[in-house]
Amino acid sequence: MKLSVSSDAPGQKMFMLGNEAIARGAIEAGVQVAAAYPGTPSTEILETLSSVAKDFGIYTEWSVNEKLAFEVAFAASLCGVRAMASMKHVGVNVAHDPLMTASYIGARGGMVLVSADDPWAWSSQNEQDNRYIAEQGYLPVLEPSSVQEAKDMMADAFRLSEEFKQPFILRTVTRINHGRSDVLLGEISRDRRKGFFEKEPSRLVLTPAEARKDRPLMLERFDKIKKAVDSFPYNSLELADGARLGIIACGLSYSYTLEALKWLGLDGKVSVLKIGTPHPLPEELVKKLLGSVAVVLVVEELEPFVEHHVKAIAAESGIDVKFHGKDLIPLIGELSTEKVTRAIAKLTNTTPPVDFAEMERIRQETAPLLPLRPPTLCAGCPHRATQYAMKIAGKRVAKQLGKGEPVYTGDIGCYTLSYLPPIESMDLVLCMGAGFGTANGLAHVLDVPVIAQVGDSTFFHAGIPAMINAVYNKAKITMVVLDNSATAMTGFQPHPGTGRTASGDVAAQLKIEDIARACGVKFVEVIDPFDMEESIKIFEKAMRFDGPSVVVSRRPCAMLVQRDARKRGEELILYRVERERCDPKCSACFKLLGCPAIVRENGLTVIDSSLCTGCSLCAQVCHHKAIVEVAR
Amino acid sequence: MPSQGDSRGGKIVKELNILIVGVGGQGVILMSEVLGNAAVRDGIRVRGSEVLGMAVRGGSVSSTIRMGDDVYGPLIPAGKADILVAMEPSEALRNIGFMTKSGLVILNARAVVPFTVSLGMSNYPGLEKIVEKLKKSASRVVVLDAIKLAEEAGSVQSANIVMVGALFGTGLLPIKVSTIRETIRERFPAKAAQVNDVAFHLGFEAYSAL
Repeated sequence: MKLSVSSDAPGQKMFMLGNEAIARGAIEAGVQVAAAYPGTPSTEILETLSSVAKDFGIYTEWSVNEKLAFEVAFAASLCGVRAMASMKHVGVNVAHDPLMTASYIGARGGMVLVSADDPWAWSSQNEQDNRYIAEQGYLPVLEPSSVQEAKDMMADAFRLSEEFKQPFILRTVTRINHGRSDVLLGEISRDRRKGFFEKEPSRLVLTPAEARKDRPLMLERFDKIKKAVDSFPYNSLELADGARLGIIACGLSYSYTLEALKWLGLDGKVSVLKIGTPHPLPEELVKKLLGSVAVVLVVEELEPFVEHHVKAIAAESGIDVKFHGKDLIPLIGELSTEKVTRAIAKLTNTTPPVDFAEMERIRQETAPLLPLRPPTLCAGCPHRATQYAMKIAGKRVAKQLGKGEPVYTGDIGCYTLSYLPPIESMDLVLCMGAGFGTANGLAHVLDVPVIAQVGDSTFFHAGIPAMINAVYNKAKITMVVLDNSATAMTGFQPHPGTGRTASGDVAAQLKIEDIARACGVKFVEVIDPFDMEESIKIFEKAMRFDGPSVVVSRRPCAMLVQRDARKRGEELILYRVERERCDPKCSACFKLLGCPAIVRENGLTVIDSSLCTGCSLCAQVCHHKAIVEVAR
Repeated sequence: MPSQGDSRGGKIVKELNILIVGVGGQGVILMSEVLGNAAVRDGIRVRGSEVLGMAVRGGSVSSTIRMGDDVYGPLIPAGKADILVAMEPSEALRNIGFMTKSGLVILNARAVVPFTVSLGMSNYPGLEKIVEKLKKSASRVVVLDAIKLAEEAGSVQSANIVMVGALFGTGLLPIKVSTIRETIRERFPAKAAQVNDVAFHLGFEAYSAL
């Protein structure tokens, strides 16, 4: 039998992606409301839930941003239903404001926030460790060591949140979210509650007077959790007889530790404390381990969060042991079995069965031979066309006005990739919405054109206040919205501009140009980026406009266009190079555009028909008119 | 026995680490998906991992599948990959640091040259050079033209399944051939299922004939 995430098959095993397992955990717990904003590595959680939402009576939504996702879920929790919000680590920054006060109020229905952290920033702008955010808000954290445990913890977190009346955080890392494993399925709860809002202004209206009363209640709730975590099944201590070394391993680090010990032949010779609740720590188990060994190694990814807390516990209880942690486990890079093995080998004077130095030597020796293969905009990506036209216009306008090179700010999305040659369209990228935000600041201190870029989904997420700010505070900037009708980078999730909801229902379709006009922008134009000449003309006008201006560049994502064409059985009109007209020494097409479909073969320029989507941009930049449509 | 909430009692299997690499769009993730699904069907403990999102737009992709009772982490440590399946030659070389000395490399011969080479920002090494380097770090390197076999099967898109077939042709996997074939057939709609079934067979035969 083929199993799916919705299979009512307790006791059976299914091969699952971490995020599917997390969604499954929520389904098993009877979650009724799930809200999220897409962000790698968290996206598939809500995607999975949305795909089965109607079968299970779950309300799911792609919220406009993470703050909303959290607020939507938290409100549902206050009405007694089980609710969750999922987001990437930096998304929690956006939700930080409501989160810090929700912890004062506590939960009614089980409330779980999934924070998907991204060590090594595989798909992020930083590598922040959200256990610190949890600590700041007296929010308990469950951290899984495996995909199986991610499912189990997720299901359990709703129950725990109800028992202790506090929102819980499930903190994952990329290798859990995008890890895969066999997962033992549990029973699905079909229990559905009716939302009821019990008015209690003395707790729910956070004026200073009420907040002061809520704080001791929050501390009390947290104290109860602190006393309970020692008996949570996610924390476990295995004392080895006469062991000198004890290892405290948090979350996924526990898996690396188990492998490292087996690899070194130290299985059963070292005491191991597995931590599934880094906040609060199981203090009794920690003390038991500290009291039984002479040397302790704390293994954890990113920051020394557990390490510092364990050291504090040792100091408070007067236990004298030698501590190791971030002195041996690197602060930089993703954690791995190799890194943990090296640390343990050093402490135990054992030799790893693999010569890591030799492996490193091989890697360094091969590195110069390898072609660079950075992620890049797809062939036919409308962003390339928009940014190419924008930069031509920027150069021209700066020259006409006798000013220096324009400064281009950018935002988070596929379009960020064109900061690289040959387009080089971004000089500053910070976080969601900061493309417009930082441009506001630059405009007041620079005397060059300031051009800000943001994607359509990001515009709705955090671009609108910055747009209003530009109008209100008279920041003379050109705001470009790269509208490809999808949250493309994370896999085409819908947003308020697409006219669809998470569960596929028809919704109101907001027009970015209407919003810009309503914000008071006096220059608003919509362009088709594949009409290059016209696009350059409008960009020039916008950049010369005396006041904030907006250009909406609208073309659906090339991947969507291909997918739709395939579905309809249509063939796209592709382009080819006409050999007689092409000057093989010219190479303007790929040097200007960097399109992956244009390749050099034996000194000739060729368009790879398996990649071309027929955007025509190369035909438009070719001076020799050597790029033509493929006759059908 | 340490607990991560999972039950044991499946088929007892010796550790086997498979690293699958390629370029975005070559179906690397799908390969690990069918392998993992088939392993679970045969009662084998399996772990894996991949990276998605911005990391892969047209860039390098890698995915791990690890089988065995002592496997916990999602990643293959350096020097522990038993089999490297590469959809693209230079991507095999990029991951050479993961191979164990007794390891096997199965390589699709067709290069995907990145735009950085056209732009003169980097060079692409020839296939011979790549194979020569790989041979220094692995005990066996096998080169196949998976694209050609996929075309024979009925679609270039099935090149990844050709490579899965070759992987089973090694006879090194603890998964039953009937299980993987069933998993592949179920993964695709009817017409594509047939093409991929043929692709698997051609890959399997191609390896066996070596």
